[in-house]
Amino acid sequence: MSEKRTLLAAITDEDTTTGLLLAGVGQITPETEDKNFFVFQDGKTTKEQIAQAFDKFTSERDDIAILLINQHIAELIRSHVDNFTNAFPAILEIPSKDHPYDPEKDSVLKRVRRLFGE
Amino acid sequence: MEGVYFNIDNGYIEGIVRGYRNGLLTGNQYINLTQCETLEDLKLQLSSTDYGNFLSSVPPESLTTSVIQEQASDKLYQEFNYIRDQSSGITKTFLDYITYGYMIDNVALMITGTIHDRDKAEILPRCHPLGWFDTLPTLTVATDLESLYETVLVDTPLAPYFRDCFNRADELDDLNIEIIRNKLYKAYLQDFYNFVSRKTDEPAREIMQTLLGFEADRRSINISLNSLQSADIDPELKGELMPDLGQLYPVATSQLAQASEFEAVSAAVNSVYEYRGILESGNLEDHLYKLEMELCRDAFTQQFTVSTIWSWMKSKEQEVRNITWIAECIAQNQRERINNYISVY
Amino acid sequence: MSGTREQVFPTRMTLGLMKTKLKGANQGYSLLKRKSEALTKRFRDITKRIDDAKQKMGRVMQTAAFSLAEVSYATGENIGYQVQESVYNARFKVKARQENVSGVYLPQFEAYIDSSINDFKLTGLGRGGQQVQRAKEIYSKAVETLVELASLQTAFIILDEVIKVTNRRVNAIEHVIIPRTENTIAYINSELDELDREEFYRLKKVQEKKQIETARIDEEMKQAKLAEQNGNNDTDLGDEKLSSEQNSETQGVAATPKGSPSADLIQEQEDDVIF
Repeated sequence: MSEKRTLLAAITDEDTTTGLLLAGVGQITPETEDKNFFVFQDGKTTKEQIAQAFDKFTSERDDIAILLINQHIAELIRSHVDNFTNAFPAILEIPSKDHPYDPEKDSVLKRVRRLFGE
Repeated sequence: MEGVYFNIDNGYIEGIVRGYRNGLLTGNQYINLTQCETLEDLKLQLSSTDYGNFLSSVPPESLTTSVIQEQASDKLYQEFNYIRDQSSGITKTFLDYITYGYMIDNVALMITGTIHDRDKAEILPRCHPLGWFDTLPTLTVATDLESLYETVLVDTPLAPYFRDCFNRADELDDLNIEIIRNKLYKAYLQDFYNFVSRKTDEPAREIMQTLLGFEADRRSINISLNSLQSADIDPELKGELMPDLGQLYPVATSQLAQASEFEAVSAAVNSVYEYRGILESGNLEDHLYKLEMELCRDAFTQQFTVSTIWSWMKSKEQEVRNITWIAECIAQNQRERINNYISVY
Repeated sequence: MSGTREQVFPTRMTLGLMKTKLKGANQGYSLLKRKSEALTKRFRDITKRIDDAKQKMGRVMQTAAFSLAEVSYATGENIGYQVQESVYNARFKVKARQENVSGVYLPQFEAYIDSSINDFKLTGLGRGGQQVQRAKEIYSKAVETLVELASLQTAFIILDEVIKVTNRRVNAIEHVIIPRTENTIAYINSELDELDREEFYRLKKVQEKKQIETARIDEEMKQAKLAEQNGNNDTDLGDEKLSSEQNSETQGVAATPKGSPSADLIQEQEDDVIF
């Protein structure tokens, strides 16, 4: 089932999105005009919108292999992220320019710690 | 003699601009800024400069480089608009000319948005405040260049530039936009050049010719260098994008248009004394900024000229970039690069 | 203990079945245990690598973000919007490859760059094009690191799941199936022993009954013999007795139709009775 998943998706702030797009991850599905990235605007984007985008990338679309999400955005919908335990798509929390990476908050690393009883 | 008449209309403006110029950050102040440990420190340091308490309304937790950049730019826009409001006659036209450059960027932005059916409300806040014109929001009605021109742009100052750049009624696409933007910019620079040549007196004329020539050269070098990788821009098209002025024009410009590899670009650039060696070491953009700032600094040595406004404007823009850069270096902990700013005052 | 045994009839055939089952369970247990150990080893390895990779990602992304700062320094404007609008096709994709670890398929993402696609050919044409180019390269590298990390993370999640399942099975076999089978075997054995004992007792009982009967018959026969001898001597004495003795004798002969061994036995016991 993983053969179809070739794209990366992103829920990231403007700067991170720009960088990722420059790297060439962006794709707009021709038929539906669907983007595989969602730009988070501080103060404008609501939690519901993020959660919606998250669900879309994780559940609705079946061509996404990896979902990149800024950690500070993941923090806003933490329960959503924590509850998503499927292997596909892989959810990767990445740092953003203004928010350095904090391993303590990462859903996966939290699982790692729990497993080893730390 | 002309100095006497200059002050009738522009004495106040020049006074203001020179006051602003003295407010530009000096080398020492920059050194102080680079010593800052956090953005909060930076804010404190800046408050002792002309910037005053421009960040006072920003709570500490949301102090980011983009906020600093925004606020600093806002200050620039306010100062510029103040000067513009005080101006009249030729000086006003001159100031309007300065804003045309930003208008071109805004129009390009709106066209990009139009192609992708973006919401107008989404694009407008991204437009440059200095390039604002009343009919800007209506640009989105257009679907191709022809109708864009006929319905909206014909009423703007940009109309003459547009007329020259679409002999082929191409459908709009992303590749075209970048080309249109550069064609417009070329037309704009040439028009501006003609304006200062015809309408302004010495020493403003000479200084502005130099400064605009430099701007043109910068674009030519960049276009030539950045199009090396994309094969679908032929030399002829490149020639159409490069302004017909500046020190590179005409010989080096045509060489740049023909150039298909880095060595050829480098050879063409090296043929002009001022630009010799800028491609060899370090960052091209840094060299060019440095040259620009030196030209601007020298422009202030002349009195009774509107060119000081342009010089101040460019210096101030560089200053905002410098501050943003330093803030970025502090925020991202890249201190080894922090001294990469350009300070000439 | 008898509560955790299986509901079976305690027969020898079931016992055989149970013994085979126990053997199978033991074998399965040791195999699964070994699988689980192999996976856990791999798992710990991956976890360590994830930790490292995440730290590395922090650094890489910072460098990348900084290259973007250089772009905005060079262009003097935010190219974000322009970039977002220039996107059409993904240049950077991933391919999934599968790796087999102790029978578990772990996906490995591989970065795959289609160099024929370039959506940002002309971005920064007039200004800052080189910085854009550089940012592009740095970000491509950064995303490769991210892809690597994503592989590890997916492997982590899948392994986590598989290890849990395997461990559940190991535990189930170790703590439920094996004891239950053993209990069942013990139960069947005890039941069978019980049956054996009952059978033995029953046989004993039958034998005892038989002995008593034989003894009685012997006694009667002896009486009859004596009566016969006495009858020769004294005919009046045994008339009545003779008739009943003859009846019992015919009965006794019918009860023990076997030949001489029983007759011998009778002979031996005759002596006992005499004394």
